[in-house]
Order: sequence, then C-alpha cells, then structure tokens
Amino acid sequence: MDNILKTTGMKKSLGKSLLYTLPMFLITFMFLTGGKPNFSDTASGIALLTVFILVNVLFFFMHFTGKTDKYRAVLFIVFALSLSYALINNMLEVRKAMYFSQADILECKIPFCHLVIPMMILPAAFTKSIIFPGSIIGGFANISSMVVLWLVATLVLGRGFCSWGCFYGGWDDGFSRIRKRPVIKKINELWKWMPYAVLIMVILSAALTLMPTYCSWICPFKAVTEFEQVTSVESATKAGIFLSLFGGLVIVLPVMTKKRTQCSFLCPLGAINSLSNKITPFTVKIDKSACNECFKCVGVCPLYALSKEDIRSGKVSIFCSKCGKCMDACPQNAIHYGIKGVPSGTLKNFSRNLFLFVSYLFMAVFSAGSIINTFHGLLKFIF
Amino acid sequence: MTDSLILGLSSGSACLATCGMVMFPYLMADSANVKRIAVDLSLFLITRLIIYAIMATLAWHFGQAVFKSPVVRNIVPGLLYIIFAVMLVWYSISKSRNPSCPAKMVKTVSNKRLVPIVLGLTNSLGFCPALFIILTKGSTERTLVQSYLAFLGFFVGSSLWFLPLPLAGRIRKKEVIKNIGILATGLAGVIFLIKGLTNIIGGIING
Repeated sequence: MDNILKTTGMKKSLGKSLLYTLPMFLITFMFLTGGKPNFSDTASGIALLTVFILVNVLFFFMHFTGKTDKYRAVLFIVFALSLSYALINNMLEVRKAMYFSQADILECKIPFCHLVIPMMILPAAFTKSIIFPGSIIGGFANISSMVVLWLVATLVLGRGFCSWGCFYGGWDDGFSRIRKRPVIKKINELWKWMPYAVLIMVILSAALTLMPTYCSWICPFKAVTEFEQVTSVESATKAGIFLSLFGGLVIVLPVMTKKRTQCSFLCPLGAINSLSNKITPFTVKIDKSACNECFKCVGVCPLYALSKEDIRSGKVSIFCSKCGKCMDACPQNAIHYGIKGVPSGTLKNFSRNLFLFVSYLFMAVFSAGSIINTFHGLLKFIF
Repeated sequence: MTDSLILGLSSGSACLATCGMVMFPYLMADSANVKRIAVDLSLFLITRLIIYAIMATLAWHFGQAVFKSPVVRNIVPGLLYIIFAVMLVWYSISKSRNPSCPAKMVKTVSNKRLVPIVLGLTNSLGFCPALFIILTKGSTERTLVQSYLAFLGFFVGSSLWFLPLPLAGRIRKKEVIKNIGILATGLAGVIFLIKGLTNIIGGIING
C-alpha cells in the first residue's frame, strides 16, 4: 500500500474524487441556501451559484490531483480579499467612511476580529469586562460569534486556523506567491519567536491599560479594514505604523521572501494558535522511512515551520499551519497529515481525507457568505 | 506607569539572560536554606528599590531644573528617547551584543552578607539603554510621585524575572525564553522610539 502511495501520491480516480466531494457538495448547499435556493434576484443567484461551484470544484481537485495547498490557497486568498471588501463596503454604507470616530467607539460599533482575542483574556478574567468597543451579540462582526468560531476551529485545527480560517492570512499568502523565486533567501531563525514577544507585550499592555493595544497601535490590517480618524499627532502616528507594517510585512517582504512574513513575525494570535497545535488531534507527520532528505519541504514552507533538523528528527515544529504546501512539494509523499497517536507513515489517506473534510468545510462555510456578498456587489457594480 | 512596567518586563528578561547565571550562584549559595534564600533575595530587591527611588528623585529634580520651557520639555526628552530606544533595538538585533554582566565584580566581595546588597547595587546601576529610557521618563514627569511610579513600574517589571531565579537551573528551553526576551526588549525600544518621535512632532506643532 505504502509503495503505491509513494508513486501516486494522494491522487484519486475521477469516481472516487466525486464521491469524496459529494458530502461537501450537500453540506455547502444546505449552508449557502438554507435548503431553499433563492434566484429571485439574478445577481444574487449568479453570485451564489458561482461561489457554490467554486468551493466544490476546488475541493474536488484537492482529491483528484492529490494537491492540497494549490487549491486551498485559491479560496483562502479570495476569502481575504472579499472579507476586506465586505468590511469596507459595510463601513462605507454605515459611516460613509473607512475611519471610525470617538462616537463609534463609545457606541460599541467597531467590527470585531479574532486578532483581539489574546488581549481580551486578562481583562475579562480580572475585571469581568470586554475591552473591545464592539457588539457582543448581533450586528455586523460581533464578538461572541467570532470568539466561538475561533475557539472551536483552534481546538480542532490548532494553528491550522491560520491557513484555513483566518481572513487576513490570505493577504500575505497571496503576495508570497507573486514571484517565482525569493530575493531574500535566509532570515535569522530568532525572528520566528517575535510573535511571542508581541503576544506578551500586547497581553500585558492591554491588561494594564484596558485597551486593545494591538488594534490601536500595531495591526497592519487596519490598512484594509477600518482605522481611527486622524485628528492628532498620535492618531497620525498610528496610521503611519499600520501602513508601514502592511506595506512591509504583508506586501514587500512576502514578495521578496515568498513567505507569509506577517503571520511568521508579527501576529500574536498565531503565537497562541501555535501553542494550540500541542492539543489538537490533527498534525503533520514525517515518514522517515520514505523521506530522502531533499528538503524541498523546508524551502517551500511559508511559515518557517520546517527546518532540516526538524526533518531529520521526524517532527514538525509548533509553527506549522497545516497548509499542505510541504506535502505538495514532497516527491516521496513522506510528509503527510496525521492523527495524534497514529504512527507516522500509516493511515496517510484516511488522515488527509478527514483533515481536509473538516478544515475545508470550515473555510468554505466561514468564507462563502462574504465571497457571495463581494461577488454580488461586483456584479451589481459592473452591470 | 504602563510603559515603564513593560520596559522593565522586557529588559528584565534580557538582563536575566546576561546576568542571571552570574547572580544565581551567589544568591543561591546556601540553596538548602530556604530562609537564607528569601532573605538574600529580599535584600537584593530592597537595594534595587532604594537605588531606583534615589534615581527617581534625582532624575525628576534634574528635569525640573533643565526642561523648563514646554518645547524643550518635549523635544529634548524626545531626542533622548530616540537615542536610547535605538540603542535598545540595536542590543536586541545585534549579533555582537555584549554578554558581560556588571555583577561579575561581586567575586571581589569577601563578606558574604554583603553579596546581595552589592548585587543589587551593580544590577540597578548597570547603566543599560532601558535604564537611560526610564531616567528620561522620570525627568519629564509632572510630579515627583509620577517619577516614583515610573521607576516603581520599571522595578516591578524587571524584578518579576528575578523571583523564579531559584528555578532558573530547572527551566527547560532557556534559549527560547532568552530569544523571546531579547525580541521583547527590541519591541520596547520601538515603543519608546515612537514615543520619542511623537514627543518631538508634538513639541514642534504645539511650540
């Protein structure tokens, strides 16, 4: 069985691939339509149908070709772009501007995102209050639904959330794919620990000031979502930081290194998600008996999660986001999705099928709404 | 007080990385005697607190005497913040960072009872960029109490790292903690770099 896998990888026949896609087809149909597709508005119908087909075709090709990251990235990047579009569109409709005012803060009208979660923990524990000025239940991007989604996804996928659920990750993932070869090939390993330093700083500063300091001062994605109105030197400085970090870590460095540098060197939620890799059932395993140490996986890993030492020791680091890029690159099918407790090199197909179903279903359901809205908006704009 | 606490916390880890292994054997000389360890650690921390209180007083009076006009009060400390913050960032990214610890001089102290006090003195007077930043901050505070609070934040932040000193030898993956500490120090430097720039721009606009 293993010999067959080595030569054919994870490819499946047309019939098997269709069979594996069928549950995804049915579940996404139910989620997207509620069981009753509504084609009364032509633009909505076209948007719904296009996204439904896109989601299922990508999943089919994951099975048919045996490639994971190649098709995951398409939906992941489209998700990131469409969610920024949806957020900006919502703000332009509600506020007529991308910036928020002090009044919006006081009225708790700021859309919530998962990057705030690390800062909420200590203040919530000690003061029984939520330090983010957003809506707890109801309204656009409310706090409770995002926290629950993140918690469930992280407990199941671990840092897989960063490659299958995060609606920002697609930005630097997309830019990291622009060049064929990296201009900057080597970066000091020390920088991998930066998200932990950022995490410590933002947790402490948020606990001491009862303010979401990462959102106020650091988050690069303010550049493509909402930001504070520039009315003082301080708010101008903040805007400068957001734009510099977005330009540097989300655009320039990913293009130059072919890596997801914002996720690797800044994101504090990524640091927490890395730790959650320790408790999740899904993992990435290295079959040392199949590995010929070509280290192609090390070169392509977008999060600096693999080193030559990791490959030799047969263990991936906690930074792994289970994106599948290393598996696509491996000519021996030696690196594969696995389940904790199951020895590496065994149940490769079963583990992959199970992981792909769970992670892809999460991404598909989570992303489809905003992609449909964006596509619908674009159709209305064009026609 | 928040920024000084963060500065203390971040630089304290780097301080422990360079000095911890020098101070550890001296503070833990009679490791079998818990009471002695507690007394020595307390003496060490009290000495640091006293030195910082003196520095807070001196820095504040210096600031009152020198930074009289509002523009100077913004621009000069702003420039100092930038210089020391760059030094702090340089410390965190430089491969040739100096690993030597000023506490090494404790080897010359013959009276064992004085060791924790000498360690407290050398540790708090080891003029590093973080201490220069907190001196600048203390000198620009409006009241003496605020200057004390700034130094207290720095003291508490940096002291937290010394409390688990007895466990230092047992902590696994010390290299990882050291790396995170060094990066956090660099981040604290960036925070004060921005603070310095904001001070200067604010001073120019308001001046």
